[in-house]
Amino acid sequence: MFQSIVSYGLAVGAVYALIGITYNVMFSASRVFSFTAGMLGMLGGVLGALFINKMGMNAILAFVLVLGCGAVLGLVTEILTVRPVLKSIEQHLYVLSTLAFALMVQQVTAIEWGTEAQPFPTLLPAGEGWLDQKFWLPMLACAFTIGGLEFLYRKTLIGRAFLAIAEDSYAARALGLPETRLRMASYALAGMIGALAGFTGAQMLLAYFGNQAILNFYGFVPVALGGMGSNRGAVIGGLALGLFQQAANFLVGGIFAAVAVFAVFIVVLLLRPEGLAGAATARRV
Amino acid sequence: MTDTTASAAARATGSGWLGKLEGKISWILLGLVGVALPLLDDSYIGVIAQRAYIYWVLSAGLNLVVGYAGQIAIGWVSMLTLGAYTTAALAAGRVGPEWNSYLALIAGGVMGAAFGVIVGLPALRLRTFYFAMTTLGFATIVTQVALAWKDITGGGVGTPGPVFSWPFEPGWGFYYFCFILAAVSTWITANIGSSRYGRALVAIRDAEVAAEASGIAKPRLLMLVFLLAGAMGGIAGGLFASLQSYITPDAFTFEMSVLFFIGILIGGRGSILGPALGTIILTALPEFAAPLVQWSTFLYASLLLLIVLVIPGGIADLLDYKNRRPLEQHREIVPRPELLARVLGEQRGETLITLKGIALHFGGVKAIDGLDLEIRGGEVHGLIGPNGSGKTTTLNVISGYYRPHNGTLKLDGVDLPFEQPHLRAERGIARTFQTPRLVGAASVLENVMIGGMVQGRATFTEAMLNLPRHRRDEKEMTEAAMLALSTVGLEGLAHVRADRLQHSELRFVEIARALMLQPACLMLDEPAAGLSADEIIRLGGLIKAVSRAGTAVLLVEHHADLIFDICDRVTVLNLGKVLAAGTPAEIRSHREVVSAYLGA
Amino acid sequence: MPTSAPSKTPLLQVSGLTAGYGKIVVLRDITLTIGAGEAVALLGPNGAGKTTLLRAVSGLLPRTGQIRFAGGDISTAGPRDTVRAGIAHVVEGHRVFTQLSVFDNLLLAGYGVAREARNAQVEEALAFFPEIAAKRNDKAVTLSGGQQQMLAVAQGLVARPRLLMLDEPSAGLSPVLVDRVLAAVSRLREGGTAVLLVEQLIEKALAVVDRVYALARGSIVLEANAGEADLASRLEHAYFGADVSAPLAS
Repeated sequence: MFQSIVSYGLAVGAVYALIGITYNVMFSASRVFSFTAGMLGMLGGVLGALFINKMGMNAILAFVLVLGCGAVLGLVTEILTVRPVLKSIEQHLYVLSTLAFALMVQQVTAIEWGTEAQPFPTLLPAGEGWLDQKFWLPMLACAFTIGGLEFLYRKTLIGRAFLAIAEDSYAARALGLPETRLRMASYALAGMIGALAGFTGAQMLLAYFGNQAILNFYGFVPVALGGMGSNRGAVIGGLALGLFQQAANFLVGGIFAAVAVFAVFIVVLLLRPEGLAGAATARRV
Repeated sequence: MTDTTASAAARATGSGWLGKLEGKISWILLGLVGVALPLLDDSYIGVIAQRAYIYWVLSAGLNLVVGYAGQIAIGWVSMLTLGAYTTAALAAGRVGPEWNSYLALIAGGVMGAAFGVIVGLPALRLRTFYFAMTTLGFATIVTQVALAWKDITGGGVGTPGPVFSWPFEPGWGFYYFCFILAAVSTWITANIGSSRYGRALVAIRDAEVAAEASGIAKPRLLMLVFLLAGAMGGIAGGLFASLQSYITPDAFTFEMSVLFFIGILIGGRGSILGPALGTIILTALPEFAAPLVQWSTFLYASLLLLIVLVIPGGIADLLDYKNRRPLEQHREIVPRPELLARVLGEQRGETLITLKGIALHFGGVKAIDGLDLEIRGGEVHGLIGPNGSGKTTTLNVISGYYRPHNGTLKLDGVDLPFEQPHLRAERGIARTFQTPRLVGAASVLENVMIGGMVQGRATFTEAMLNLPRHRRDEKEMTEAAMLALSTVGLEGLAHVRADRLQHSELRFVEIARALMLQPACLMLDEPAAGLSADEIIRLGGLIKAVSRAGTAVLLVEHHADLIFDICDRVTVLNLGKVLAAGTPAEIRSHREVVSAYLGA
Repeated sequence: MPTSAPSKTPLLQVSGLTAGYGKIVVLRDITLTIGAGEAVALLGPNGAGKTTLLRAVSGLLPRTGQIRFAGGDISTAGPRDTVRAGIAHVVEGHRVFTQLSVFDNLLLAGYGVAREARNAQVEEALAFFPEIAAKRNDKAVTLSGGQQQMLAVAQGLVARPRLLMLDEPSAGLSPVLVDRVLAAVSRLREGGTAVLLVEQLIEKALAVVDRVYALARGSIVLEANAGEADLASRLEHAYFGADVSAPLAS
């Protein structure tokens, strides 16, 4: 029992953390949040099942293709729903444009793929019980992503350029950094991370169009708890959320677990709107 | 003079972007269709119409939250769910004895009102995206609870909806019930929309800082609209339960939330007719094209994307042909300072604002380091200094945005509180901003009337029901606003959308809005920036006239000419301290001042 | 006045430049030139439009009018292209990337430089400011305000610009540090880099430049050589009173 809570909790927490990182990477590049993070996670699973189960593709090829689709969708998000509204004086249009796009994709998925959750294939012939791959695959993906991002930010010029834009996009532009291209690259990267989350988590969450709404919310909670733009916060928040959710599920049942998560979310936000690790907002006048 | 302003005021009421039921003809047509529909004796169409009415009852309330106040409350289907289950459970006797259906409906409204406030509270603290997420989370929770709480809701199996008795029994009786409630919803939200509360909501949405400076208290007003919207959503829920005759948790889908939300945005924010048409279209559309049912949400979402990218103003914008008429090209702003005596009303005696020993620092930087300043009624007091010297910060301290770490601020000998900027308006302290902060989507007149917020006497309920005190308020406020506009020379542009005006005109509109407060003290933050030489001279004349009428004027400026022309006293700041203070002539020849500017 | 001989063609030629923010027009019809290797000061009271002018030249704001640089037309270029053309804009307020190291800040300034040459050019820029060279691996947030300003200027140098534009580098700095920064300006000028210096400290600025423009209320109100005798009083007039325009003594 305890083992199951821990393994399931950490695994699903890793998926939530990865979606949180998806939100963060998009936010760092553009200062806006996008409703497409959950969509990317959902498609990671659905497209993976489509390619492997329905189209008989090899798992590795399918994986690469899914990541590619994630990158493309990330780019589409940037070009279609974020860039046009960044210039507008109207502050909050991005919420609506990204929501609209995410909904459109969700509906197409529901109609074409179906509204039933479908199984996701076992990818590797290994692991059982609490060492089942459906548990450690997402955790591995999460660790790999964190490591990869650290490498990117510390050792590559483009990664440092991402950090520069996240901190001060005006100074970055004045320095001659290609802001638009870097933003597109960030969104493509975020797309891949979201797709990765969905692909590795699909053995638990199944290939289901309804995962979009679930991941949108539960993937956002780590961001809210850990602070906007903080990937470290997202990981800690995500894992904590996963464990809390599983423990609550076991103790009081699914529905009250959901209520409990929501209550914690609201309380934390009302007490510290900037998250447990975030910085206070600047003056407005 | 009396004639022109009175007739201008008469022309002003009844038209305008937020005008009372704009497009009266459309409403009359809709009403006629609604009343006459039963004659078709087609129950299928009747059901669609009832559904549209019920959705509109909810959306009309949500329109105030989303369209007017600009709060992105996406998960509002939760109110429908709450109202539906409350009404159904009470009427079916699941909670105590069986209730009368009408009373149960009212209880549904009360439930909606309570939760409307609860859901709305985070809006005061959270950023937009975060708030949107909380509404989504809440909608999911409500559905989950409905599934779990079998005793009250019947769980997944569901529960029968309430049945209303004569005269609104199922069939055409109930149809008229829904129609009447939809009409009432339209009427009360239109009343709010065209009242000072509606203008205040739009000000909070588009110019929050300016709204505060005009005396608008955001928390109280937002809670009122969330309460009303929740109540209307709850009542819509009760009606919905009756229409469906049997409700299960999966009848309340996320898609419905999307429909309500998108209907309002497609219709256009700040309008009543637009969202009504939007809601009707989105409800009816899938019914008339069978394949569309499956794709309906996709359709709504793509419409939303289209609107956001192409026509952010929605249907209402498309219908607003009045604001497409071209404006005169070479417009001149000709203020009429002689009207000031009537605008400013009776003077309150000699005003005096004193700052003593004010000190304020941000992080390690001393923004203000020991400031003494006196602003007297009847004088123009200039405040100048190099960049970073603390001019705007001083203004912000007087406006109440910042709390200094030391020092006192008094108005006529009475201490002024800090960090409560919305209280300044009722004390007669008005200001303008470095960049004009106006509501672009509203007309010039409506923008000026925002300054009249604290003068209004009618309560929210009186405005909602269009009672006499509210009507009197509106008439007086409109006249006062037209007078203020005439004073600054812009009465000809009263009904033009503010975002069509030139920058210099916007500055004068801000001044008109400030004059509405009949200020004892008027503070201007770099009003000359971006004005032509002629306009600066006229501005100077106007400012001087305002001071001569008894108001204390504080003028923060870079424009040396303007300062030396019209100021009676000048204070020079440098690095947060007073470098020199005296008459313009004294300052002009003060060596240190010149050096500070020239940076020696 | 620059003649039409090719060797005297100005490096930067601005004519009819108009720019602002949204509906607010700040600069009206500006005309100015900077010759190769020339140091020019841009003076003027607050609100005159000095920062706006720099932003308009480097492409950070939309503008109308003509801007020619090193024989090419950059009238509609964005900041990335103007950097590639050879202009470096060190913005106001020493905005460096505080979460990155000094060295990384400079590397980013060399984003457009070929990878092989990048490190060498970063070292060149660091050589101007030995103080921060010693802190190359420290995060920029640990630097003092003055050091951050030096880092910002060093950033401007990495790409070996032909024109370096500095926006109030002395703001918030102690007199000693101001002298250090302006000494770097002198060295650059001697090395053949043109400099456009926006400054509040008039005397110090005049000491390191060849020519001066004064901007007030969005227009050029004065153009003179730095050494002219009655410059101080003419500037005073320009700031506080009637416009005093005098043709450049030829």
